[in-house]
Amino acid sequence: MSPLPSPSDWPLLRQLRGEDRLGRGAAVKSAATQALRPRTAEADRVVKSVCPYCAVGCAQNLYVKDDKVVQIEGDPDAPHSRGRLCPKGSATLQLTTGDSRERHVLYRRPYGTDWERLDLETAMDMVADKFVQARAEGWECESEGKPTRRCMSIAALGGATLDNEENYLIKKFLTAAGVIQIENQARVCHSSTVVGLGTSFGRGASSTLPGDLQNSDLIVLEGSNMAEAHPVAYQWITEAKARGATVIHVDPHYSRTSALADMFVPLRAGTDIAFLGGVINHVISTESDFREYVLAYTNAPTIVGEEFEDVGADGLFSGFDPEKRGYDPKSWQYEDALVAAAAGQRDQEADIAALTGGEDAKGAEQARGMPKLDPTLQHPRCVWQILKRHYAQYTPEMVERVCGVPRDVFAKVCRLFVENSGRERTTAFVHGVGWTQHTIGSQYIRAASILQLLLGNMGRPGGGVMAMRGHASIQGSSDIPTLFDTLPGYIPMPNAHRHEDLDTYIAASSAKRGFWGNMRDYMVSLLKAWWGASATAENDFCFEYLPRLTGSHGTYQTVMEQVKGTVKGYFLFGQNPAVGSANNRMQRLGMSKLDWLVVRDFSLIESATWWKDGPEIESGEMRTEDIATEVFFFPAAAHIEKEGTFTNTQRMLQWHHKGQDPQADQRSDLWFIYHLGKRIRERLAGSTEKRDRPVLDLTWDYPTEGEHAEPSADAVLAEVSGWNAEGKLLSGYTELKSDGSTSCGCWIYSGCYADGVNQTARRKPWREQNWTGSEWAWAWPANRRILYNRASADPDGKPWSERKALVWWDEEKREWTGHDTPDFEADKPPDYRPPEDAEGPAAIAGNTPFIMQADQRGWLFAPAGVADGPMPTHYEPQDSPVPNTVYPERQRNPAREVFQHEENRYHPDPDEPGGQVYPIVVTTYRLTEHFTAGGMSRWTPYLAELQPEFFCEVSPELAVERGLEHAGWATLISARGCVEARVMVTDRMTPLQIEGRTVHQIGMPYHWGPNGYAKGDSMNELSSMSLDPSSHIQEVKALSVEILPGRRPRGAARRELVREYRERAGITAETGMAP
Amino acid sequence: MATRAQVLELLKQGHSYETAARELGIPAGQAFMVATGLSADSSETPSPEEISSLPELPASPQQLVNSAQFNPTRKPHVEEWVRRRAARELKGDA
Repeated sequence: MSPLPSPSDWPLLRQLRGEDRLGRGAAVKSAATQALRPRTAEADRVVKSVCPYCAVGCAQNLYVKDDKVVQIEGDPDAPHSRGRLCPKGSATLQLTTGDSRERHVLYRRPYGTDWERLDLETAMDMVADKFVQARAEGWECESEGKPTRRCMSIAALGGATLDNEENYLIKKFLTAAGVIQIENQARVCHSSTVVGLGTSFGRGASSTLPGDLQNSDLIVLEGSNMAEAHPVAYQWITEAKARGATVIHVDPHYSRTSALADMFVPLRAGTDIAFLGGVINHVISTESDFREYVLAYTNAPTIVGEEFEDVGADGLFSGFDPEKRGYDPKSWQYEDALVAAAAGQRDQEADIAALTGGEDAKGAEQARGMPKLDPTLQHPRCVWQILKRHYAQYTPEMVERVCGVPRDVFAKVCRLFVENSGRERTTAFVHGVGWTQHTIGSQYIRAASILQLLLGNMGRPGGGVMAMRGHASIQGSSDIPTLFDTLPGYIPMPNAHRHEDLDTYIAASSAKRGFWGNMRDYMVSLLKAWWGASATAENDFCFEYLPRLTGSHGTYQTVMEQVKGTVKGYFLFGQNPAVGSANNRMQRLGMSKLDWLVVRDFSLIESATWWKDGPEIESGEMRTEDIATEVFFFPAAAHIEKEGTFTNTQRMLQWHHKGQDPQADQRSDLWFIYHLGKRIRERLAGSTEKRDRPVLDLTWDYPTEGEHAEPSADAVLAEVSGWNAEGKLLSGYTELKSDGSTSCGCWIYSGCYADGVNQTARRKPWREQNWTGSEWAWAWPANRRILYNRASADPDGKPWSERKALVWWDEEKREWTGHDTPDFEADKPPDYRPPEDAEGPAAIAGNTPFIMQADQRGWLFAPAGVADGPMPTHYEPQDSPVPNTVYPERQRNPAREVFQHEENRYHPDPDEPGGQVYPIVVTTYRLTEHFTAGGMSRWTPYLAELQPEFFCEVSPELAVERGLEHAGWATLISARGCVEARVMVTDRMTPLQIEGRTVHQIGMPYHWGPNGYAKGDSMNELSSMSLDPSSHIQEVKALSVEILPGRRPRGAARRELVREYRERAGITAETGMAP
Repeated sequence: MATRAQVLELLKQGHSYETAARELGIPAGQAFMVATGLSADSSETPSPEEISSLPELPASPQQLVNSAQFNPTRKPHVEEWVRRRAARELKGDA
């Protein structure tokens, strides 16, 4: 016990006896306070790291004392975050070192009623045994007579919160094992961005970086609440405003982003294509486009084939097949030329070649020609004229009728776009998942891309399309994809029906001209990285080891396969579909049919505990004792306990070092997949089964470190970056070869470990470099920070204006130079013109900036790649209370993907009987203090306390109409489920006047579930599985519900209420299913 | 306590913040704060106008107050592993 303080230590006496008699300084400190020192000062080292939450990727300093992390702060040297952290980033010390994380493996035996402890080694062995058994039992040699060599009985979900190295090993091992149902949050969040940007410009990633927004003259945030969802990146918009920029926020929901904007434009959720189409119409009809840019760099002059027909009143482009619920895109192609898309539906060429007489995809080789151009833009079938006709009906009046945006407001937006684009000024778009999560999400991104091309804003300072991604490595998990349809670097997975051998595959999937023309180099180097010495020219470099696709195997199709019983085993890597995926009930139903489930996370998320405490247990529809699913919970290591890279929203790979060891059974996902793979290989050793060769021949011998034998993340990243036969780590993808003399795990990341230096760990302070921050970490491709930056110069290589100079041709040095790494061959002069028979990069002229495109032009009109049409077209969301005014005969996207299941029913058309049973529009969003499905925030006390309860925002008008009280409860009902939420009555939600009636909208965050400190119902109990056909993303940004005052019923009465409303609406299996 | 004028004078003489602080018998981070009014750990981000009125700032002021930074970028054993794999897999050596 401490002695009593002496009276002379009393603060007042101490103050009066000292020099600081007025008590303004040191006198007010007690001895205890005097002795306090900041944890940052006590640390014995500062370890460089990266925030694990959103994709801004704020750099962090880990303050480490005695091998324990004692404090985490922002790294002030970082060019992109400058030392700032948001509330989530500031809570990472508690997230990682607090006591909410599980430390031990937990096991739920079949039909068990509670968790049991299991030692880690035993659990790993059990999972390995189950994997081997499920794989053997579920092996499929062929489908419809075509070899598939795959395993349909195992699936995996998760990767966006993981390191790139972890995703790489997961994809590598599972693919070798024949598993194709590999998915992650990137499907659920931004897959439509990849399609939209990739088909338009050549790469499916953000074209710019938040830091470049400071150079914008106009910033339009649409489908993004950046100030709350990505607050640290928002500093660059504040910076732009300080420099005189105008900021517009277009959104159904008023937020802090709106409060900071110069202009807030509320619109009806799900109508952005009509809005953007209106702006496109304005630009074209007033000839306000940047004509020189449009002529030189876009496909506006390209002539489209005679067969193409635009949408009529029926809302269909040419080529629609109602039986297949999809388009044959043949008629969208250019006249006398065949081009492949750089993203999206990559091998449409093969289909077309077959249709045009070629027997297989090789026919595409012969069918390719040179697109015809009309530089006068007068040809009736040139893209310019087609675009003009298509958008002519998107008038200000139509925008008002569809979106609820008054004409004068819309006119002001159009004026600002035009005034802030051109030679001297640039406009940037910022979007988030408000644009992506729709049944026509890819076309939202296409619409913005078209506008940016028309206004000449791509590749220029302050321009571009800034896709704000939401997870630390969601960009990385797209690039090194834990996704079913791609291999690392956006190389498409082979298809059973079209890609029998490597030649056929390359012919069908690559472009003849541009950098995709070198796809064989990328592919062979990948096969060498995976199968090493076993991959030889004689055996097609083991191309046959890759399992084959037969359609979409996205996460929602996988759920249907679970429900059918095809999938036996399921891995969840840091993902919580029981909250985060659409239609939570279907997710749980699917998991209840599994034989085994492996959950790797920090805490006991809802996807780990549904068998015990899910809503169906509470309602009595399921009994724990009847559920056979065996569940393994493995506690995961946090970012401070492992090394690796995250790829942030600006394509920047940042290395994070380890600050401390994980405790007890906590392990990294790198450790898990590596050691699971080793165990499975041991079990298969000596097998003579053909299916086991890809697993046994796989290169799987990474050096390990430490007492847990942690595989070296550096070694994995080196494999990703690539090397040659001399063991030299490559400087970039132009060094890759197709003869088997190079190895590279992801061609777009080639160079990230150049010369044996981990380039991703570079940390040159922002004060020592320009705003692009090119010496901080490493960005793909080739450390270019602003994509397509060749377009910042005119065709002759001179900047369009000095004010907007970025890269330019230096005639004296005969090279491209400037403020950024040129996104162009450095020594190719502007006047270079390729010979007619040139292929690959040699076919890229010196005046064409879109080097990944088959025709090197930005696509205003997409002749391939997008499944639901060459131009964005307004359709209503799957569940909407408003009829389609633009195409009255076509309510919804005819090509969308829908699932007919009792637990996934859709709402009627608005003008059908029962069409107004669910009359209120709902939109959803993220809060600053929470993270996606809550696994990293609801268990973190600081964050849980900041946002403790699930709520819905309703307008005062709707509150009056429905009798809702502020801070009271509301019950929301859809055909899938019902939830309760606290009511926030606020004028942040604007009732809109649509076609003479008031349409109410409700805003809802989606982070809650029944577990953790902050508990609540999950919004996704309401949403349906209905998907965009190009990207397979779900629609959760616009749906419809009914809202009632009071709490929802408990027990069986909850489902009864849902059933009652379904009956009232007359919902059947066919409702909402029509194309 | 050292004054701003003292620190600025030493900087003018060519001292770094570290050596100026040593001369004055104070921590380097304190010398930085006295001279600039900013904390060396960069808790504040001054505006461009504020920066222009300050003495030249070091590229990374946090290093004046933080312990040694841990950020290695090379791992020789990984490079050796790469060479072995390249020899085995790309050249066909055993």
